[in-house]
Amino acid sequence: MGSLTTGTSGWRRRGAAAFIVVWLSVQVLVPLLQKFEPPDFHYRWARYSWGMFSSIGTRYEVRLLRTRGSGGAEPIPEVGRYVRGYRSPEPMRMRAAYWSEAEVLDRFSRLVSFIARDRHDGYTYVASIQWIRGPRADAPLHTEFRAQAAP
Amino acid sequence: MPRPPRSVPPEDSFGNGWFGAVPSCRFATFRVALAVTTLVFHVPKFNAFIRDYTASAFHVPPAFGWLPILTPTAGAALAVLQYVAAGGLLLGVGVPTCGWFLAATGFYILLLDPEHYSHNAHFHLTLLALVGCSRDGLSLARLIRAAAAAARCPAWPERLVRLQIGIVFFYAALDKVFSPFWGTSGTRLPALLVVEHGLGLSMLQRLNQVVTRAAPAALSIATIALEFFLAAAAVFRPLWRVGLVVGFTFIAYLEFLVAPGLFTWDMFASGILFLPAADGGWQVLLDPHCPSCRRRRTLLSGLDWLRRFRYVPREATAISTGACPGLQLVSPRGQTLWGFDALRVQPAILAGPAFVVMAVARFGGGFLAARGAGPWGALPYVLLAAYLALWVPGVARHLGRPLHAALGTHARAPRNLDPPSPPG
Repeated sequence: MGSLTTGTSGWRRRGAAAFIVVWLSVQVLVPLLQKFEPPDFHYRWARYSWGMFSSIGTRYEVRLLRTRGSGGAEPIPEVGRYVRGYRSPEPMRMRAAYWSEAEVLDRFSRLVSFIARDRHDGYTYVASIQWIRGPRADAPLHTEFRAQAAP
Repeated sequence: MPRPPRSVPPEDSFGNGWFGAVPSCRFATFRVALAVTTLVFHVPKFNAFIRDYTASAFHVPPAFGWLPILTPTAGAALAVLQYVAAGGLLLGVGVPTCGWFLAATGFYILLLDPEHYSHNAHFHLTLLALVGCSRDGLSLARLIRAAAAAARCPAWPERLVRLQIGIVFFYAALDKVFSPFWGTSGTRLPALLVVEHGLGLSMLQRLNQVVTRAAPAALSIATIALEFFLAAAAVFRPLWRVGLVVGFTFIAYLEFLVAPGLFTWDMFASGILFLPAADGGWQVLLDPHCPSCRRRRTLLSGLDWLRRFRYVPREATAISTGACPGLQLVSPRGQTLWGFDALRVQPAILAGPAFVVMAVARFGGGFLAARGAGPWGALPYVLLAAYLALWVPGVARHLGRPLHAALGTHARAPRNLDPPSPPG
């Protein structure tokens, strides 16, 4: 390697040729099929398709809290243990730059269910999401998930 | 200016194909540049993902059900190994293993949680995988030594990176053609994130925002056309020269005036693969008996990773004046540059070290600024502005004289900066 005459020959050459064909096929076809997904081939923004700066990232504010009976909002104890960096009950401003509203909703739905299962203390665990920018026209501006923990 | 024969045969321009041999120093310089951004940005960012992921009890399901969940022990091991692998890339030790390890680890972390994904990271990992294909065989130590000019490696990895650049720009442009936020409306442009750099750049950024809001449709169409052009320029060699200038300007615009990110620095690093290498295209005229010339040769040899310089004894040239006139370069087109003119052109020739300095200033400055150590975030922009200022007409006259005075006896030699003597 690194000599005056280093080229590629023999089985290395055939292996390199196969790699080049596979690499280029994947790099050309995957973004194309993601952007124009069959069977209708209509354009859509897709994550793994080199659509830099193309979509307007969704911004939202989320509050994580718990309630019991008619009581007010209480902080979720040790919320940072469930997701490092999260706070409760103050709102957290977030930006979904590369993922969809559905993925955001799915994440917080799963999170409150997980916390309720883990704590089983009779509280109701709540994730309250307020969309600031970017949700679809038919989507509500506010979404809330509740999960009741078993006593 | 007569051109002495080259010690190393020039690179075959286009006929050596995918499997021919090309100068190793170009891909090795690109690898070192990529290793620097990996060390100062990519690895710390992905290690933070690992730390946060393993410290959290809750996880969304990974992209593929068969992916193993990262445990704290495995996470700590991966974090250490990422630094080792990035160091390996920098030093040129076990390059294929290090490149593929970093790429595989990075894609694994991206697939663990969709929140880890970004185009910056995706592009960087793609480049790391392609660096893993490298057979340049040049360690950092060899790259710095002059012997690297003779080393050759297969052409296909660097060709694949160039095509990858073309693919990325093509799909970025295609996306904007169909996106409801770009196309002929340009509604995405006023919503672009702008990061404040401080100092005089805030004024430039505000001006940019005013223009963006005034004519978003025109800017959108211009951006699309520009990205299609850069895609074509990456693929067709006759467009490289123009593409490099246009691409550098466009990427610098993104870095300075929109939202800085790793993508721009990876693109700067990739630009190295479109530069000539090991051609000895620039002649450095030296006096073999002058200690200052010998020191200069040692210094330039260590910085000339692309092996653009060829050292020619001054006696062999027709412009020998008898007295050592200091730094003297002859460009590939035969133009002779002296002193200050020769000095200010060097960062453009010494692309590898210049990239390393700017990348360290950018990410090191950002690191210090984030910790409240002062306005260090503006450091790379100040450096670039200072460099560009050297090209403002009249600056050479003011800076040239003290510079030559600082260089000692060479200042007494004739320079092209001196005004012509009046006749008689």
